[in-house]
Amino acid sequence: MRRLLTLSSFLFLLTFLLVWWMNSRALKPVELIPTLTGESEYCLTCHADLPEISASHPVKTFGCVSCHGGERLALDADLAHSTMRGGANPSDLSVVEASCGGTNCHSGSEAENRNHIQRVTTSVQSTYAGAIANIRFTFGAQTDLNAHFGINAVTDDETRTGITSLSTFDPSSEVNPFIKEFGKNCLTCHLNATPREGDVYARQTGCAACHTPLFDSPPIFGENGGSQKGVHTLTTAIPYTQCNACHNRGNYDLRTMTFDERADQPTNRLQGYYQPIAQFTKCEYTLDCVDCHTRSEVMGDGDIHANQKDIQYVQCKTCHGTPTELPLTKTLTDPNDIVFTLAFLNPVIDLKLGDTILITEKGEPLWNIRALSDGTYEMFGKATSQYFTFNPVMGSSCTQTGEDQSSSYCHGCHAVER
Amino acid sequence: MRPSFFHHLHPPTIPAAQARWRYTLAAGGTAIFLMLILGVTGILEMFYYVPNPQEAALSVQAITYHVPFGGFIRNLHYWAAQLLLIVSAIHLLRVVFTAAYSHPRRFNYLLGLGLFILVILLDFTGYILRWDQGVCWPLVTGTNLLKTIPLIGDFLYRITVGGGEACSTALLRFYTWHIFGLTVVVSILAFWHAFRVRRDGGIALPPPPLRADNTRISRNDLVRREVLAMFLVGIILILLASFLPAPIAPPMPESASIRLSVLQSVDSIRSSVEYPLSTSVDARAPWFFLWVQQMLKWSDPFLWGVLVPLGILATLALIPYIFPKPADSDIGRWFPKSNRLAQVTVAVISLFVVILTLVNR
Repeated sequence: MRRLLTLSSFLFLLTFLLVWWMNSRALKPVELIPTLTGESEYCLTCHADLPEISASHPVKTFGCVSCHGGERLALDADLAHSTMRGGANPSDLSVVEASCGGTNCHSGSEAENRNHIQRVTTSVQSTYAGAIANIRFTFGAQTDLNAHFGINAVTDDETRTGITSLSTFDPSSEVNPFIKEFGKNCLTCHLNATPREGDVYARQTGCAACHTPLFDSPPIFGENGGSQKGVHTLTTAIPYTQCNACHNRGNYDLRTMTFDERADQPTNRLQGYYQPIAQFTKCEYTLDCVDCHTRSEVMGDGDIHANQKDIQYVQCKTCHGTPTELPLTKTLTDPNDIVFTLAFLNPVIDLKLGDTILITEKGEPLWNIRALSDGTYEMFGKATSQYFTFNPVMGSSCTQTGEDQSSSYCHGCHAVER
Repeated sequence: MRPSFFHHLHPPTIPAAQARWRYTLAAGGTAIFLMLILGVTGILEMFYYVPNPQEAALSVQAITYHVPFGGFIRNLHYWAAQLLLIVSAIHLLRVVFTAAYSHPRRFNYLLGLGLFILVILLDFTGYILRWDQGVCWPLVTGTNLLKTIPLIGDFLYRITVGGGEACSTALLRFYTWHIFGLTVVVSILAFWHAFRVRRDGGIALPPPPLRADNTRISRNDLVRREVLAMFLVGIILILLASFLPAPIAPPMPESASIRLSVLQSVDSIRSSVEYPLSTSVDARAPWFFLWVQQMLKWSDPFLWGVLVPLGILATLALIPYIFPKPADSDIGRWFPKSNRLAQVTVAVISLFVVILTLVNR
């Protein structure tokens, strides 16, 4: 009995040693108290090597949890990640309001053009309304080209386009077999769709579909987090390759309602340029999409539109003017002008008060283009920082009719050969 | 040498037969040891636990991950509680299968049965204090069972839960039940139970003339055995607490319902992407109520959720009073003939509970 007692007391002490040893091997928590929330979070214990997501979302201010959700105190990966919004992507449109929304952030703000979530969710990129309306019209399910359906139902109480709402498109309630096939095969393009298989289609959903470029990037997390391609970044310097993940991958065949992938694997800008267009000018492939296309064109203007052509408005003359008119400009006098914010987020140009920049006919700033005193213009590529200069049409030998700005018209003289 | 206080708690000598492992299984003593551990670890947890719906689950996370040795203490508390249930059940089975409940120990048997019920309630209230995603459904189901009781159901519900919905208001009440209401009663009953063991002449044996073995052991021997049992149980507990962490889950009621309502407000933009939170809610009862949960699937909740468990309890309570009295010489012997009916009844009840638990696993 005494021997048993000695042995068991020895073992009992050993188990305490075990507890001490396990405790000494446990993770050393790394605490972060973001100024925005004032609440401790311990995500950096494991994720200290993640880069800052963007200059406007410093981790010391935002922390991780205010965007990603998750259990801020947990040191166990499963528990910590269990309540994350949208998995690795809090900007997925199903959770974006909770992750990125709020009147101080990206929704519900009284300031003009700050309600990005409302704009994006009503934009054709999310609703896919134009494609749905066209297909339904083509196959006789509706008698006009008006948009009645979107990927998700949306409403707009302050409509300026006349469309107050879209109902949810439900392919199963369609009669025509082509429309059913369309529903099956062709809904992988809108902003929140799961991308098609393959590296060339790889993108995130929601905001990150555009603002988190995947091209040539390492995985966000190591092996333990599952290799989700993409970097921990949000940027407004969006390269054309990001747009290409959706916009340059092939064509839908209306006869079979299938997607025909483009067969070639372009390796440079010229080869990679938007393939269905046979003719294009030099600036169309040397620049990036975001150098010309504005925020309201890409992210929506807050109204529900029936079609892409209702929202896309930038033309050659927006930058180059016409033989009789110079492009529209604006001289910066207000230090709180949003262009300074835009230039801060993507510092390719050193804008100063007193500078004159181009603006579109809707008044949107082309903040990366500055008018020079000699009557020419300088432009900084938003994604590449490349420096360009260009002349206005006025005063040149161009013989265009100012009113005709269709691409084929300008391409008539200025097309480059592939 | 004069005995120490701890030795002094024991009689100078006891019959050797009362302290045989193969008779007592050390179950009663182990239960008291586990209760002491639960008291100490519970008090340590109280320094950090916040009984407030918004903060409860977060404070559990803080205890688990950030308080020095907090996770270990919590695991000890958890495993001691689970073991206490098991050990109490073993103790009850031992008492029935050895006819130990027989006169003069009938009242102490009832005290023990009451303790067993209170331990189950303590386990359930402790489980509720996690106040995380897994807790809400069992809490609602469990407390709604009270409402099915005719006449006094609503009254019992209000005593248990307080006003309002179980998942939003019951935390403080369960906290008070757990650390005060039930604990005080259990402490008193446990003390009374142990006192009655001595008052009734120690662990059950036949009257002295009928005993086959009249050897006795000293209190030193007895204490050694107790300490050995404590060491062994302690080692098992520490190993369990070190390698099998107590369950933990994200907070449920308040914060989760807010998040869900945000989601509903942006329902228009929901896509096919699944929201993880809503799907991960566990709708299973804690393991010791799985058998009741299984019965609830058979329709009438009052019958299966209240009457049947109460019927089982009543049957157990009546064993010393209306079942055939075991022969005096059979007291303290395993599976004696004169006690067959009680053995079969309890075995059938145990099998019933175990099978339902396994079916609902």
